[in-house]
Amino acid sequence: MTAVIDKPAADFSGKPSRWAAPPRPAWEEEPSRAGLAGKGLALTLAALAILFPLWIVIVTSLQSRKTIDAAGGLVVIPRGITFVAYKELLTGGQVQRAPMVSLGVTLVGTLFSMAVSVLCAYGLSRIGSLGHRWLLMLLLATMFFGAGLIPTYLLVQALGLTDTYLALILPSAVSVFNILVLRSFFMGISPELIDSARIDGAGDWRILWTIVMPLSRAVLAVISLFYAVGYWSAWFNASIYLTDQDMMPLQNVMIQLVQKQERPVGLATQINTGQLSPLAIQMAVMVMALLPVAILSPFVQRHFKKGMLTGAVKG
Amino acid sequence: MTPNSATSAPSRRSFLASTAVAAAVAGGMPLLAACGGGNDGSKDGTTSGKDAQKILPTFVASSVVTPDIASKNGSAAGFTQAIDLDALKTSVPKKLGSGSDLKIMSPFWGSPPANDNAYYTAMNEAIGVKVTWQNQDGNTYDEKLGAILASSDIPDVVVVPGWNLNGKIPSAINAKFADLGPYLSGDKVKDYPNLAAVPTDAWQRSIFGGQLRAIPMPASYVTNIAPFYRKDIFAKKGYTLPKTPDEFLAWAKEATDAKAKVWACDDLKWTAFNICGVLNGSDKALWWDLRDGKLVNRIETDEYLEALEWTRKLYAAGVVHPDAKAVKGDASNRFTAGQSLVFNGDLSYWYGSTAEQRTQKADFEMGAFDIFGPDGGDPTLWATQPAGIFTFVSKKASKQQIKDFLALADYCAAPYGTKEYMLTVYGVEGTDYTLKNGLPTKTTKGTNEVNGAYDYTGDPAAYLAHPDLPEIAKLQVEWQQRMGAFTKKSSFYGLTITEPNRWTNLANDFEQLEDDIVRGRKKISDMQQAVSDWKKKGGDDLRAWYKKLLDDNGSTAK
Amino acid sequence: MSHSTVPRSRAEAKTTDQQTAPGPAKKRAASGRRTGKISFRLRFRRDRTLILMTLPAIALILVFTYIPVLGNVVAFQDYDPYLSDNGFVAMFESPWVGFENFQRIFEDSAFWHAVQNTFVLFFLQLVLYFPIPILLALLINSVVRPRVRAVAQAIMYLPHFFSWVLVVTVFQQIFGGAGIIAQTLRQHGHKGIDLMTDPGIFKFLVTAEGVWKDAGWGIIVFLAALSSVSNDLYEAAAMDGAGRWRRMWHVTLPALRPVIALLLVLRVGDALTVGFEQLLLQRDSVGPGASEVLDTYVWWNGIRNQDFGYAAAAGLIKGIVGLGLVLTANKVAHLMGEQGVYKK
Repeated sequence: MTAVIDKPAADFSGKPSRWAAPPRPAWEEEPSRAGLAGKGLALTLAALAILFPLWIVIVTSLQSRKTIDAAGGLVVIPRGITFVAYKELLTGGQVQRAPMVSLGVTLVGTLFSMAVSVLCAYGLSRIGSLGHRWLLMLLLATMFFGAGLIPTYLLVQALGLTDTYLALILPSAVSVFNILVLRSFFMGISPELIDSARIDGAGDWRILWTIVMPLSRAVLAVISLFYAVGYWSAWFNASIYLTDQDMMPLQNVMIQLVQKQERPVGLATQINTGQLSPLAIQMAVMVMALLPVAILSPFVQRHFKKGMLTGAVKG
Repeated sequence: MTPNSATSAPSRRSFLASTAVAAAVAGGMPLLAACGGGNDGSKDGTTSGKDAQKILPTFVASSVVTPDIASKNGSAAGFTQAIDLDALKTSVPKKLGSGSDLKIMSPFWGSPPANDNAYYTAMNEAIGVKVTWQNQDGNTYDEKLGAILASSDIPDVVVVPGWNLNGKIPSAINAKFADLGPYLSGDKVKDYPNLAAVPTDAWQRSIFGGQLRAIPMPASYVTNIAPFYRKDIFAKKGYTLPKTPDEFLAWAKEATDAKAKVWACDDLKWTAFNICGVLNGSDKALWWDLRDGKLVNRIETDEYLEALEWTRKLYAAGVVHPDAKAVKGDASNRFTAGQSLVFNGDLSYWYGSTAEQRTQKADFEMGAFDIFGPDGGDPTLWATQPAGIFTFVSKKASKQQIKDFLALADYCAAPYGTKEYMLTVYGVEGTDYTLKNGLPTKTTKGTNEVNGAYDYTGDPAAYLAHPDLPEIAKLQVEWQQRMGAFTKKSSFYGLTITEPNRWTNLANDFEQLEDDIVRGRKKISDMQQAVSDWKKKGGDDLRAWYKKLLDDNGSTAK
Repeated sequence: MSHSTVPRSRAEAKTTDQQTAPGPAKKRAASGRRTGKISFRLRFRRDRTLILMTLPAIALILVFTYIPVLGNVVAFQDYDPYLSDNGFVAMFESPWVGFENFQRIFEDSAFWHAVQNTFVLFFLQLVLYFPIPILLALLINSVVRPRVRAVAQAIMYLPHFFSWVLVVTVFQQIFGGAGIIAQTLRQHGHKGIDLMTDPGIFKFLVTAEGVWKDAGWGIIVFLAALSSVSNDLYEAAAMDGAGRWRRMWHVTLPALRPVIALLLVLRVGDALTVGFEQLLLQRDSVGPGASEVLDTYVWWNGIRNQDFGYAAAAGLIKGIVGLGLVLTANKVAHLMGEQGVYKK
């Protein structure tokens, strides 16, 4: 019996509010009041510990220099709203192009990394397969030995990748950590399922595509997210391998915009407008960095519903 | 649990921010360099005296525009009148460039404009070159520089700030960059009149590996660290300026009101060094001075310990802003926000902060007080190096490219009041700047484009000019002249010296130890211990090495 | 070697556990591969697809990691990349110095101090920080209302996307000597506090910052593991009369165990790496005495001075220790019946 229980799916119809609890299965006991209260308290405290600083950050990004100076730093209670910090951020020369660059690199990079990593993780998921242990050690060792900046740069240059977007993808395409996590989930898939498929004549490609991957949606979502976030927030490779400023991804542009306030003393020929506090700029950059996450995370969360994927073969 | 984090190395931006005063003002304690004779780059030493005379360009003062305040006691020249845009002079009568392509790599702070902007195009046109700017993030510049110089494919022209001359970069400079001597030494420089007007002191600093390799960005040798105070708040509260270290401490205790979020001062270590007459810390060669026939290092002097002790007292008394204790945030922002009443910073803040604040608060006023001596009398100040940023040309560049680069440098080195200066500093009229009340004022476009590039590739002798706030330029120059009167030059002033590899990192930890001591985490006795360790680990050998250098080359100072 | 993160029932889970015992368990033979007495050619024919699948990743790693890692030979050199026209060639021209770089490192008391700080911080983080994402994941997993869950999760991820510069700025503004807390105390006639510059509590501060920034993000993998637990299992356990807590003990935790073990082993192997950027940023606030860890030590003494040989030597030491630690931790995981990173 292959049981696929997707109980909360009923909620998507929208009839009972999604704020309400879905019907409790018969076997589950009613929670105690104390238990509920404890859970609620813990969640509220955790949320507050994050939301309060976040509130300060957002509020500060919307304040004038006068208000920030008067508060002597981050502002808790807003006094008026000004978008001058965001305006400053969005009028820089490259800001129009950079988000597209970041988006492209993130999309292509994540797809590429996922393809390579899933294949590798599956290839290593069968204990006792030929060379399995050696290949694993080969991967593992890279987690502990790094190369210096200069040899890496010389290599990337020798391969002709400097000033190409490939330089932002290839050198960091494989994360051994991610491969290991994928592999550990693949190994958790019921062996009986795989064996029965094999008996039906399926090869490894088909097993991976039709059995392993559909059963691993949660971890695939997680690892895609890890890769995507990695590509989205990476800036060091771009700062080293790219010289053409028009190619810079968003993170680099943001860093440079924050730095505009921070050029070394003595070279400070430029005057900021007196309305704009450097603190507000910093905070605005922060808020802009959070936006894609806030948009993205609901999509990923869908994959974390309890019991979404089971697939136990019984009997 | 951040899988890709290993690939995105940490932010050096923050690193710079956290050591802003130290790294930027002081040049990050560069292990400055050059070498005696050889071209192969690994030689240590310096070039001065007769050897230097042979390669230094002849100085021909510029007569195009006369400054309102002439340079005196090492100060910058001051221009205190607005540029008369209808009577701009010409310092480059004919286009010198022949249209070569030049790739220029330069550090850049902020968001650089696209290469085809109006300003770059106009500059190219006026000079006769085709420059492709490779503007690189200023705060990761040293890493990128290190990597690029290790490859066989380097840009035609490379700008290197003095504080990036760490570790093995000096040897890279000698190995990878061209000798400009054949184009500039002696009278040859007269082909480029604006470069001929660059002071000899600055050229002397451009001798790397026995050859004239760089176009320098000249600077005043008077200390650039000014103790600023909030003149407006002093007036309102009726404070009088302290005249001795003890008076300062007493005033600071009175002025601090933590409850109202006001502290008397920010970190004043650098000013304490100046008050006590400690040898200049901005370049390792300046740490040494000949006293009674023996070379003495700044860290061995009593003045050094006195300065640390006085700064420690300020911290201990709780009169220093807590964020300064944590080395977080920006000192000038605390100052302009009124959270601290005194801070020390580069002299350029005088203009920068005033101009910025005046747009909001018309009554904002800051001043720099005269540095007093340890007993309240005249101080003893020590000269800083007269050039801080250098521009080099690749050895692989063609003759024509070198000549066109020199044309570019000559153009950028045009003095205040010329039409070349207006284009270099303000950009294209109507596009990058407009006239407001008769003063050129940058447009938004101008602010984004005319910023960074062409700033370091050729500059006239040190000058100060702020057409919108002419009185600030005057105050700055006068402060420099008063302080310049007390300024002495130590034995290795003006020289670019490469220390032998084995000793280059010997004194790197002293700055950290200073900061630990003034903040009360370590004791003065720890410093004495560190100095005695330093002597044993090579300090005394280094002293002998410097002494030999002095005996062989002679000093440029006095 | 628990093959399955999805024990089918309490009774079956038990048999699954038994598979970890050495010896050719029947079930293991079915899906695992016998390494016993099959010829190499047969094994190759059987496993060539698997090997083929690993090739793209292996190739990338060989090119972009192993080739530059060879550059670590400069650990035995006084490497000067500018000796020659090209930094690669310079490797052949730089003088060999044997173990001098290693000697310099070992003789530096600051190095040993940094190692000590590193381990103290690592243990603090292991005890105070590592369990928190697991607890949070369990907490969130126990929430049944979908909206509450989604909102809670979304909020918890956010701090991960703050850069360290900003995290430190925000902490400074709240807990610093002129921060919100200190000023509030002063307004009410108390003395201000400054938690940011006290070397005594610095390691706890660093841990707290880490928890705040990354604990919420850390729950992701655990949530993914929890999501693979079938409701059947809970139901079966409930039928057997297991209460809420016993279900958590016997169903939920066994499902998480392999992931916990994997992450723990990797974390131990990474013990010498603790928050480089975070600590570099706060080094000046408390001084190197309290804040210097191995990575920042290498940064200050090797990389910043372009002492490439020295930095490479330190990197090698760190790599060898890390590899040793991960192998040991993996062994311990085996002894406790877990798969860990690999299984022999």
